[in-house]
Amino acid sequence: MTLNIQINSRDFILHCSGALFWVEKRMLLISDAHLGKVSHFRKHGAAIPGVLMHKNFDKLDSAVNYFEPESICFLGDLFHSSLNNEWQLFHDWVARTPVPIILVAGNHDIIAPKKYHDINITIVSEWALDGFLLTHYPEERDGLFTLCGHIHPAVLLAGKGRQFLKLPCFFKSAQQMILPAFGEFTGTYVMEPQEGDVIYVITKDDVLEVPNKER
Amino acid sequence: MNREQLFDIATGWFESRGWKPFPFQTQTWTAFLQGKNGLLNAPTGSGKTYALWLPVVLDYIKNNPDYKTKHKPGLKAIWITPLRALSVEIKQAADRVNDDLGTGLTVGIRTGDTSASERSKQKTKIPDLLITTPESMQLMLASKDYANVFKTCGAIIIDEWHELLGTKRGVQTELALTRLKNVAPKMRIWGISATIGNLQQAMEVLLGPQSPALENSVMIRAHINKKINVVSVIPDKMDAYPWRGHMGLHLIDEAAKIIKGSRTTLLFCNTRAQCELWFQALLDKFPEFAGDLAMHHGSISRENRQWVEQAIRDEQLRAVVCTSSLDLGVDFAPVETVVQIGGPKGVARFLQRAGRSGHRPGEESNIYFLATHAIELVEASALRRAVQETVVEDRVPYLNSWDVLVQYLVTLAVSDGFYPDVIFKEVKGSFCYQGMTEDDFQFCLNFITKGSQSLQAYDEYKKVEIEADGKFKVNSKTIAMRHRMQMGTIVGDSVMNVKFLGGGYLGSIEEWFISKLNPGDTFIFAGRKLELIRVRNMEVMVRMASPGAKAMHASWMGGRLTLSAQMSELLREELYAANTDTMTRELRALKPMFTRQRKESIVPGDDEFLIETFKTREGYHAIFYPFEGRFVHEALASLMAYRISLLTPITFSLAYNDYGFELLSDQEIDMQQVLDNDLFTPQHLHLDLQHSLNATEMARRKFRDIAVIAGLVFTGYPGKVVKTKHLQSSSQLIFEVFRDYEPNNLLFQQAYRETFEHQLEEGRLLLALERIHRQQIVWKATEKPTPFSFPIITDRLREKLSSETLSDRIKRMTASYMK
Repeated sequence: MTLNIQINSRDFILHCSGALFWVEKRMLLISDAHLGKVSHFRKHGAAIPGVLMHKNFDKLDSAVNYFEPESICFLGDLFHSSLNNEWQLFHDWVARTPVPIILVAGNHDIIAPKKYHDINITIVSEWALDGFLLTHYPEERDGLFTLCGHIHPAVLLAGKGRQFLKLPCFFKSAQQMILPAFGEFTGTYVMEPQEGDVIYVITKDDVLEVPNKER
Repeated sequence: MNREQLFDIATGWFESRGWKPFPFQTQTWTAFLQGKNGLLNAPTGSGKTYALWLPVVLDYIKNNPDYKTKHKPGLKAIWITPLRALSVEIKQAADRVNDDLGTGLTVGIRTGDTSASERSKQKTKIPDLLITTPESMQLMLASKDYANVFKTCGAIIIDEWHELLGTKRGVQTELALTRLKNVAPKMRIWGISATIGNLQQAMEVLLGPQSPALENSVMIRAHINKKINVVSVIPDKMDAYPWRGHMGLHLIDEAAKIIKGSRTTLLFCNTRAQCELWFQALLDKFPEFAGDLAMHHGSISRENRQWVEQAIRDEQLRAVVCTSSLDLGVDFAPVETVVQIGGPKGVARFLQRAGRSGHRPGEESNIYFLATHAIELVEASALRRAVQETVVEDRVPYLNSWDVLVQYLVTLAVSDGFYPDVIFKEVKGSFCYQGMTEDDFQFCLNFITKGSQSLQAYDEYKKVEIEADGKFKVNSKTIAMRHRMQMGTIVGDSVMNVKFLGGGYLGSIEEWFISKLNPGDTFIFAGRKLELIRVRNMEVMVRMASPGAKAMHASWMGGRLTLSAQMSELLREELYAANTDTMTRELRALKPMFTRQRKESIVPGDDEFLIETFKTREGYHAIFYPFEGRFVHEALASLMAYRISLLTPITFSLAYNDYGFELLSDQEIDMQQVLDNDLFTPQHLHLDLQHSLNATEMARRKFRDIAVIAGLVFTGYPGKVVKTKHLQSSSQLIFEVFRDYEPNNLLFQQAYRETFEHQLEEGRLLLALERIHRQQIVWKATEKPTPFSFPIITDRLREKLSSETLSDRIKRMTASYMK
């Protein structure tokens, strides 16, 4: 379900949902939730099952219930598109989640900042905190360790007998960790690992570190 | 004018050209003028075009005796062709008749290639005779007031019906016909088909089961006995013959010899990639062919294709390397020789290709067969027998294609709107939807109006609206436009246009191939070495690369072909003959390979079923040889993998070709246990198959087309800035969503049903298992791979099946980096 790791001697917990918990700060980090995507599709005539839009909120609830964080930081692409009815569901979710919420804006976040302010969500373009840089886009900056999203990382695993598996993952390199996309119905991008990268794949109910070997 | 006078006009026209009508032509004229519907069974190049164009013209003359002075406006006939490349040829034939007889009838073409200005011209003044494709036909049903355009139409002719039958474009055609029957009640319906196993059924599908149209119909067969000579090309030194590989370039010298010895040669390849490769290789090795050699395949731009077709007619080319894009229609009189590279996998296709040469009635057809690897030579000798005995396979029509129906309903809603009661009756009269219940139809209606089966809170779904009087209608302009865009792409791989930086369109390429390249990389496409500059907005910008640059060949995913049941049986019989003295020339040539095979294993006889097991660096291999064709092996492989995986937690990678299949694992399979448990039993076949299907990716792949056709995936505007990028999503994701949240969705279930009916061929599978059950199982544990196993174990396209938990599997795997 979870995996404890240390980054620059701080404790973090990786959750199988794709969420990351910063233990010391009691802060829940979530990237690329892409809320509103299902409604956006349906509004334009593609009949993706509507139950799916509730699924994202169920998932948010279970991560919040598990960690009981003191704050939540979304690392961008919180909302997939312009305003639609799913905003109301988000509004309800914010109302029942009484902790400070911060949004580090991403490329998809095009909804007017005022809408967020109205429900007490703080929007920033980036956030440097105790030696960590919280951004949407991957970026390496001197003296800071970056926590970010945007890519929807996945990795291709290989085993004997021509076995292959593609799984979403937390992708950690020397100075940064990219979080997997939290939202359902988002898709992934397969990364090419380099020497020294550390990969934590997530499944429905597990987080596992996989060895990264030279080909 | 009576029939005799009309016939005089027709035969007079034939004589003026120095021809004499064949009996099948006059029979067709008679039936047509009597107002009958029908199916004409005639091969390509037999004069089938005139068998149906002439009576259309004669009928006009009959109804308008003063036709020479007074033109009667309005659509008279529609000619549907599966390949737009053929439309020019068909128009020329019609123009010839009209010009010579002075009828004043106009002929128009409307396909995806028709310009917008031409289309709007057709709208104000519809041509008398219209040549179109199934997709463009649907598009016309999506335009306002279509009923008015079609109401005068007296005939619709569906050319190459065998090509459409057994495809979803065929279903589109069926649906269009159900509508036209009502809109144009005087319309005759005629199909033209090459010889297939189920001609009678083909006619039933075309006209509708138990329909009045079927009752008033005839089948006319052209009995043209064309002699076909099949010659296998066997090199002098057989030792060098590769055991695997499907490109066949080792026979390039032999191919060049054939080209040099003939006036015009067509070389048929099975894939576009192979076509590109052969074209390049021939030019590299035989520079003297430059200018005399051309290439033709479906992804090359229309201008280039048309140029090649005309050049063949004008005898400007020595040889053309092509794919099935040149299978149909066009009459290339000068083609003298046909070469088939690699197994054609089906007799009907092979016959059709052979028929491309000696295209004049009475001439003999020569076809050379180049086997790309050793075992394929067995296929060659099986093919020769198939040709002698005219063993031809069936084309299996689709049933209950909800995706196509959903698309069709939106189409009608986009144009003038529809009332469900009327359309239900029409659609149910078609072959495809004869078993449709009212609930099924209601599902489709709910799908297009509510996007689900029940209303949900916060939902904003919008597509088709129900108006106050019960009419189903699309009122949003964007939705209408997007639907029209989407309709043309009934098979949906994301394709991108390849263009020169300075302008100039080269053709289209699949996105997955381009996505593997970086700017600066070089690839070969349309016979040119190109450097990739950038990819933007579905356009691939290129420039000519330096001739010395190392380049990779463009490739396409396009379906791999499988052996038909009939071919598989012939193939087995040929192979069993390898243990006798009555070997064909091909089998004798294979002697070195058989010797190698027998050293460690056996060449099975008709009472034996061979299994081989061995270990390599990759893992533990188990190879089974049913010789039943690729599709049956695909099903058998997942069935066996599933049954074995019940005995012990294990993960398999599956591979298959036309001869057998492989189960590869990182654990050793206990073969004795497999035999002791009688895992080949035909019992519980259906249930086990269903389970194995859930464990593999087959249904997921089928779902791709369904999602595109039903409008679940928007493929974007061709060649335009994609503003709708937020709307693009892969069918894979949608498949998983349906599986997890809406498993009762008919479109989702259709993916499984189609896998059963069109891919797994459950019926054939049962027969195969029963046969294996009667055979003696011979299990050989060998030291290393045998010649038979080689083409299978080296196949990279694989399916997987596992009964282990994901976490357990991950623990034995690694990610890897390149140093």
